Amino acid sequence: MEFTSILDLKENPDRNHPRTAFFQDLNLNRVIDRICQEWEEDVSSFYYYFPVDKVGEDYRRAVYSDVKQVEVYDVLRSFVERMRARQEAFEQKQKVNSQLVRLQKMVWHIAEVKHYCDALVILDRELSGFSLKSMGMREFQKYLKKYLAAEEFQQLAKTVCDIQERLDAVHLILTYENGRINVAAGTAQGGYDSFLKNCFPGVSRQFSSPFGVSENLSDLEAEIMKLVQKQNPELFHAVADFAKKHREYAGETLLRFASEIKYYLSFYCFERKMQESGYVFSTPDVAEDEEMYARGLYDLALACVNMQEQKTTVPNDMEYRGGECFFVLTGPNQGGKTTFARSLGQLVYFVKMGLDVPAAAANVHYFSRILTHFSVEESVETGRGKLKEELVRLSPMMEASPKNAFVVINELFTTAANYDARIMGKRVLEHFTARECRGIYVTHLKELAQEGEGIVSLRAMLDESGKQNFRIERSAAVESANAINQVSKHRLTYEQLKERLG
Amino acid sequence: MKAFLLYQQQEWVNTGRYFDHKSIVQDLGLNTLFMAAAKDMEKEDGKVKLVQEADMFIAETMKQVMTVPLTTEEEISYRQDILKDCLEDEALICELYELSAKTLQKWDKLGRRVSSTGGDRSSARNLVTEIHLLQLFVDSLGCLKEILENHTFHSEGFAGLKKRLEEEFSAGLENNLRQILNDVAFYANEKEHKDNISGRRVNKPRIVMGCGIGDGLKPDGFTLEELATEMRWHRDPNGTIGRMQDYWSSLTTDSVSVQKDISLSQSADYMEQQVVQYVLSCCTPFNMAFNSFFDQLHFQAAYYRGAVNLKHYMERFHLCSCFPTVGAQDELCFRELQEFVMAVEQRVSPVGNTCDIEKKMLLIVTGANQGGKSTFLRSIGIAQIMMQCGLQVAAQEYRSGIYPSFFTHFTRREDSEMNSGRLDEELSRMSRIIDNLGKDSLVLLNESFASTTEKEGSVIAYDIIRAMNEAGVKVLTVTHLLSFAQRMYGEMAQKEGGKAEFFCAERLENGKRTFKMIQHAPELTSFGLELYDDIIGKN
Repeated sequence: MEFTSILDLKENPDRNHPRTAFFQDLNLNRVIDRICQEWEEDVSSFYYYFPVDKVGEDYRRAVYSDVKQVEVYDVLRSFVERMRARQEAFEQKQKVNSQLVRLQKMVWHIAEVKHYCDALVILDRELSGFSLKSMGMREFQKYLKKYLAAEEFQQLAKTVCDIQERLDAVHLILTYENGRINVAAGTAQGGYDSFLKNCFPGVSRQFSSPFGVSENLSDLEAEIMKLVQKQNPELFHAVADFAKKHREYAGETLLRFASEIKYYLSFYCFERKMQESGYVFSTPDVAEDEEMYARGLYDLALACVNMQEQKTTVPNDMEYRGGECFFVLTGPNQGGKTTFARSLGQLVYFVKMGLDVPAAAANVHYFSRILTHFSVEESVETGRGKLKEELVRLSPMMEASPKNAFVVINELFTTAANYDARIMGKRVLEHFTARECRGIYVTHLKELAQEGEGIVSLRAMLDESGKQNFRIERSAAVESANAINQVSKHRLTYEQLKERLG
Repeated sequence: MKAFLLYQQQEWVNTGRYFDHKSIVQDLGLNTLFMAAAKDMEKEDGKVKLVQEADMFIAETMKQVMTVPLTTEEEISYRQDILKDCLEDEALICELYELSAKTLQKWDKLGRRVSSTGGDRSSARNLVTEIHLLQLFVDSLGCLKEILENHTFHSEGFAGLKKRLEEEFSAGLENNLRQILNDVAFYANEKEHKDNISGRRVNKPRIVMGCGIGDGLKPDGFTLEELATEMRWHRDPNGTIGRMQDYWSSLTTDSVSVQKDISLSQSADYMEQQVVQYVLSCCTPFNMAFNSFFDQLHFQAAYYRGAVNLKHYMERFHLCSCFPTVGAQDELCFRELQEFVMAVEQRVSPVGNTCDIEKKMLLIVTGANQGGKSTFLRSIGIAQIMMQCGLQVAAQEYRSGIYPSFFTHFTRREDSEMNSGRLDEELSRMSRIIDNLGKDSLVLLNESFASTTEKEGSVIAYDIIRAMNEAGVKVLTVTHLLSFAQRMYGEMAQKEGGKAEFFCAERLENGKRTFKMIQHAPELTSFGLELYDDIIGKN
């Protein structure tokens, strides 16, 4: 089968699906925005759909481990830069509008084709130095070699180089005097530039075009260029000829590769930046026959924020031991419960995307999809209204839930009476465990942590002084010391006051 | 480029004030000095002929500089040396001050205030301004060089300024800048009055550039070959001769007439502007280097200008003057020290005091009211402030330590009544002082804690002053709290190596007050009793 895409083995029906709610619940949209910050718009769309199956996830994981070699990354990155230059030339070509519009378009076309040829030839040359292991990259390499060897491409590359060289060789001297600009062929020495450089050593100012930066030619420039055209008839004949012959030239598959490879590049670029700030990433194992676990797992969205504010992010460990399938997480407010739940969801997301995970080490099983339910932030809605809204959002999630999904539920039924909430919570848990789902359930109801098979009770911990330390540990749920929490939250205990006033 | 006339290695940054400089200025009456420094005197045959109106910039400058203490002997003598040069050759400092002031004035006229708050830097109008500004800088620096060459001086400060100027504004650089100004002259001078009629010679540019063909046929890779301004006869392009010349050129050469239509001539104007802007942007480092220089020079020269004026005041009221010297921290020696503020305000020559205090960290002055105690304390405070900013002081000799951490705690008239709220205010002021005491502190207390009973006040004063003394703080206090003074005297003056000195207002045998302070044990004297004796008689 011939190579078609570096992202998917077969066409992916989810490509254009609307974004599901979990991106927002897990704060993944913020992470994705950060990842794609310095990239073109088309990149972020790749982050919003999963590969169709486990084979598809493994296909990406293999490609990513090839891309992660720094040298390969650099080669691909400069390829993408060259293709971006091609794209810019293409866009400029559409935009020009001056007296010499036809001729200008032709010259832009030459630049566009030149960038294209250069990008591919250089990519092929530089990639051949590496031994690539992934099926995706190897198939692409094969495809590229075949494409470049074809007579059609050879001809194209040769002609475009030749014309470009001749254009580059044109040098003019413009003399402005007495209301006229004289145009003559000749190479200038930059006499006044040198004089200025001598006056102010160490200053490097570039004398840019005194005709303005607009890509369009002004009337004055057009008049000058008409004279140049008159002085170089053969060259401009060749330019026109090329434009006519090679109007369509680009290979669809290669353009698609240039766009899709940015998925891997953008993530690696991001990962490296985070690593420089001390955040750990690792390639996850995906062994189904071993326990699912993660060590040093953290919330990537929070890490992005903390990194800017120079704060640290507390990592946590987690493990589903034999037969365990659901965490029930309780503990004090502001203790890192939601953050932990998010980090779990993010872990599964990045594994499914075939990328590295924000943890020191991890083994993650295959999940068919991710389901999340987060309570809307404490709004002023009436209790019943909010409960109803929660149930309305929950119901399709439960009805449609396929086997083997990963479920993240955060603070369900906070507005219902305790007794009701317990019963409802229990039913929800039973529903998902019966469908071989795994996940985490964050709640303030300690009773839920004691119910049912396969349920593990986790608790957000406090340090000796009763302050939140954001550690999540296996521990039976306890009644929270609310009063102390309140005082300590307002930093009004005796020690704290001493410290504040000290 | 740095002026470095206030500090050896630093320009004026306006930080490092005395902690409570407002109180110091108020308690010592320094505003009088700031205003005096701002007034220039014209003299004829040694007599004052005319006092000029105050230059408020100098007053403001004195206020700023005098409230920021120098911290080392080296820094003080650096300023003293410069001041000696200024006193020897007053024309030098006058010319420097005037030059910097005029430069800034012209700069303002060019729209400095406006352009610094934004505006399109590249507009033609601003570009012309930039050329004029460059011209102004070049001319002013040329004048500065001349001034420094025409005067002699010995101080490191002036010598350094001259040397730096010669390095950073070398003759070579000056020539090049003048060349550039000549080359862009067409832009600055022609654009200003464009509606010239023909028949006169005008500045016209000649520009030669190199380029190639860039992306999308755009001329690219520009280099500037030549730039010059030439005088040419103005010729109407639509006149007969103009048209003939134009036609001839279009036949014989590959050239474009920019006068053919409005779009072309606009492009040509833009081109001229871009070329000039490029050239000026190359000069930016020069502008940047001297951007804050004239402000600094103006400010720093203003200080010495003010210092010279203060010297004139000393001469006018026949006060002594000297350059103070730096001594040990427990030293305070002076001869014929006069209260300078009082002299200026009352146009008199106040009584001079002499004292030799060595190895003492506490001075307690007691005595009758109206005996000159406060004047004495103030005269020391004023001299100390003047010394610590490099000025001369009104004495034959003055020697003291340096106390960057300097405080005054004077009972103000309005809060001298007995009132717990007043005491509260006094104590809170004291507490702020305690909070901010540093290394090398000097505290001047004038009738502190007078807002309570003598007994209570004495206890408070005793505790606070002893505590400060033990912490290494030097304290000079004028007090009527006799039990406090006597308790201190009992404890310290009697024993060997006691760190306190006691002064009293002098009274002659006949009971007459001389307003002089002398070394004396604190004693019970009361102006009230004297007054009673004076008026009712001793019987």
